[in-house]
This record gives sequence, C-alpha cells and structure tokens, in this order.
Amino acid sequence: MIFLLVDDDQEDTQLFEEILNEVDPRIGFEAAQNGKVALQKLRNREAALPNLIFLDLNMPLMNGKECLAELKQDPALKNIPVIIYTTSAHSRDIEETLMAGALCFITKPMGLKDLRCVLSSIASSLPNQLENGLKHLNDTCGAFVVY
Amino acid sequence: MILIVDDKEENLFSLKALLQLHSYTVDMASSGELALKKLLKNEYELIILDVQMPEMDGFEVAEAVTGLNKTKDIPIIFLTAVNIDKRFISLGYASGGVDYVTKPFDADLLLLKVKTFTRLYQQHTNLKNIQQSLETEIVTRKKAQEDLMQANLSLEEKVAERTRSLVELNSGLESRNAELAQYVTLASHDLQEPLRKVITFSHVLDEKYLQDIPAARQDINKIIASCERMRNLINDFLNYSILSADLTSTSVDLNQVVRSTLEDLEVVIIEKDARIEIEHLATIEGNAGQLRQLFQNIIGNSLKFSKKETAPEIRIWNEFVTEKSVDAPAVENGDFVRIYVQDNGIGFDQQYLHKIFTMFQRLHSRAEYEGTGIGLALVRKITEKHNGMVVANSCENEGATFTIILPVLQPEPHKINELII
Repeated sequence: MIFLLVDDDQEDTQLFEEILNEVDPRIGFEAAQNGKVALQKLRNREAALPNLIFLDLNMPLMNGKECLAELKQDPALKNIPVIIYTTSAHSRDIEETLMAGALCFITKPMGLKDLRCVLSSIASSLPNQLENGLKHLNDTCGAFVVY
Repeated sequence: MILIVDDKEENLFSLKALLQLHSYTVDMASSGELALKKLLKNEYELIILDVQMPEMDGFEVAEAVTGLNKTKDIPIIFLTAVNIDKRFISLGYASGGVDYVTKPFDADLLLLKVKTFTRLYQQHTNLKNIQQSLETEIVTRKKAQEDLMQANLSLEEKVAERTRSLVELNSGLESRNAELAQYVTLASHDLQEPLRKVITFSHVLDEKYLQDIPAARQDINKIIASCERMRNLINDFLNYSILSADLTSTSVDLNQVVRSTLEDLEVVIIEKDARIEIEHLATIEGNAGQLRQLFQNIIGNSLKFSKKETAPEIRIWNEFVTEKSVDAPAVENGDFVRIYVQDNGIGFDQQYLHKIFTMFQRLHSRAEYEGTGIGLALVRKITEKHNGMVVANSCENEGATFTIILPVLQPEPHKINELII
C-alpha cells in the first residue's frame, strides 16, 4: 500500500512520513512538492499507483485545486481517492474541492496525537473500508475533518 | 407748464395774463429757436404756437417738436391772426398741431381747449408712465424668471455633479472594502500557516524530548496555549471580516440553529455541567450560517462568563413584537421576534454596556476569562446585517440577559448584506 502526499511544505512532509511510518511501517510513502510534480510522478511510472493521495491546496506551480481537476480528468488516475490536506478550512475551498471529486477535506492537525489519529484511522481501514475509516475519524477527531 | 411762442411781446403777455388768471403756469419764448431750447430743457404740457415768426415759423417749430422724442407728445395749438387760409390750417395739422385757432379768438373757448389738451396730455403722460413701469416690471420679472431658471439649472448641475462624485466615492469605497476584506482573508490565511507550524513542532518537541523535564513541558505548554489563543483570534477575526461564502437569506428555524449550536458547544456544556432550557423558537428569514454564528457567540459567551462555583444555567425564549423595540409589548403575531438569552453568570456592570459589543474590548483579564474580544462585535454585526438589534442587560454578579430583535421577514429576502469590516 502506498500513500502519496502532495505538499510543498518540507517539514509537514517529514512529520507526515515519520508518523505514517510509526502508525504502519508497511505503508509506502511518496511525496511530491506540487501538483505538477505529482502528475509527472503518476503518469510516468511502471510501479503500482498509490492507494491514496493527500493533497495540499496552496502550492507553487500547480495548486491543489488544479491538480485535483487534472487527476479527475485522467482516466488512469481518476479512481485514486484524494483527501484534501491543508491548513485552513475555508467553506469555499471545502465546497469546491468536494464538488470536484475530493473524498474529504482534512485540516492539518496541530498535534502529534491528532496526526496519529488521522493516519491510523485511514491506514487501518484501507484498502476497502476507507469510507468507514473516515466516518470513524469524523467521530473521533471531528474537529478537523469535513466529510 | 404751458409754453407760449410768439414774436410779438404784446401777444405773449396778454395770453400769459389770461392763462395765469386761470392758474396755469406759463413760460414764454419769443422765437422758434428759443422755444426749442426751452422745450429741450423744461417739461411742458402744452405749446401755444404763433404761425408767422421771423427766422423759424410755427410750422417749422411744430415739425421740430414732433420730430424730437422728448417733445413729440406735447400738444400744439397754433394761434394766428394772419394765416387763416384753409391751406395753412391743414399745414398746421400736418406739421403736428392738435388745433388751429385763428384770431380774434374767444378767450373762454381757448381756455376750454387749453384745459382739454393739458388734461389729455396729463392722461397720456400717466398712461405712458404706467406703460413704462409695466414694461420695467415685465423686464424685471423676466429677468427674475431667467435667474431662477439659471439657478435651477446650476442647482441641477450641482446635484448631478454631487451625485456623480458620491457614486464615484461609493464605488471607490466599495472596492476598497472588498480589497480590504480580501486582504484580511489572505493575511489571516498566511498568519495561520506559520502559527500552525509553531504549534505542531512545539507538540513534537514536547513529545519527543521533554517528557522527562516537567519544567520545560510547562513552558512549552505556555507556548502552545498562547499560539492557540492567537489562532482563535485569527479565526474570529476572519469570521468577522470575511465575506461569508453563503450570504443568501432563507427561511431559518431558530430551534434548529440553537440545537446545532449546542452540539458544537457540547464539550464545554458537559465540562461545565451547564443546564440549558430552550422554549420553542420562531422561524425567521435570515442567513443560517450567520445566525448560527450569532447564537454560538452569545451562548458561548454565557458559558464562558459563568461563575466559578455555580453551574451555568441558560434560558432561551422568544416572543413576537410589532416593532424593533426593547419595550414593545409582546403580541401573538408581529413583524419582529424578540429573542432572550439569559444566564446566571458573572454579568457585567451596565456602565460597560457600550464596550461589550465593540471589537477587541474585554472586560476581564485573559487570566480570568479567555476570549478574543471579537465575539460580541460579531453578534452585533450579524444582527445589524439582518436589520435587527441587540442589547444586553446585567448587573455585576447577577447574570446577563441578551435581547436580540430580528425581523421575521427580511426586506430583501434573498440577500443579506455581505459581511465586511
């Protein structure tokens, strides 16, 4: 199983990888620093596609919304679930991304505990029960999940 | 005054005596030239003119008199002993005379003629004066009317110009407002990012390295608490200033609004063991999101400023009134709904009433009660945007009652003004 994090923030990326590794070391981790790089990575590969994409919104070159649109237009990529993973929860952003096909909208957790909670809920429910996992997540860490 | 013109002195004096005897003022000229000079200088109402004179005869004098604007209306009676032929008489009339009297004349008849012609002249003069003053009047009125029109025109121009400049100013302000709101949004957004980083890595630091150093943990928790406070401040600020995404006004069931607000506040309610009593509330037109923010802030406020030892008790009810007034008597059905939120908290001194709805005004130190000082400012803003009003009543230590008056129907039902600072 592979998670792809698309985020230009290196520290967030590092922390994410660290906690993901801690939560479930079997999950592979890949990172891309913006939408453009992510699409390149996904389109020019022979290895298996990631099972889940975490997508930041505010990024240089290609932001999250543009990347999401590209992903959903690409027949080879449109079935990978996308979770918006960003700092602030603007109602407009939430609405737009959910309409554009994102699975859910998570604001980046502040503490390690919360991040652990988010990642373990998601990891433990994959590959088949992601939606249940998100529901569970919504119940336990509801403050930063919009589903 | 009557002018007698004759080259013979005896004629002049006999006629003068006759006229003066009948209280006429009389002037005399012994030649045509002299007569013309006098006529130009003085005012006369009648000329009695001899026909045959050396140098300039009567007819010539008459022609000169009728040719002059000043004198043309003065009646002329020719008086002659010599030129009594019909030819001369008609010449006299043709040259401008009104009568032609031949000598010897009957004094009484002459006097009658003098009387008639002077009176006619006076009447004529009067009429002329009246006409003149009427003309002046007309000119004055016309001028006044023109002035008025001019003034009207320039007033209209001024109004148009003022309107134009106001419209310009207004659109400038609107765009500045929009810019400002956008700026606030961006700024808050950008401020949140590093702040989140500080909080996250403070947590990391705490968890990874400080577990065994209680004093250091205490300090890092202070950092985290401060950051959280700042984050709340930014969020509140954003809420206050942001163009709320959904501004349409719909039919809103306040029971539902309050219920979902209480769900959001559940953690605090349980923590403080608060008792909240809600009577059935009305359904009104408004923006659901904003009304929810309104109740969240008021109820949150009541929960926050509870007495330390007493569990919070909050009562919410409403009644209909016919006008936007605190004192209006409750009625069965009115255009406004008056909502009360009453608590048993610490209250506030009524003298600070004006402060509690003002941005960034806090009545308590942060150590006593947390808060950003934006919540109630937001409440006021939302009620105002809904064409309503909010007031608060309290005595210190005796709880507070917030009274919110909102119209049941919005004048423009589908649009609540955008929330801009």
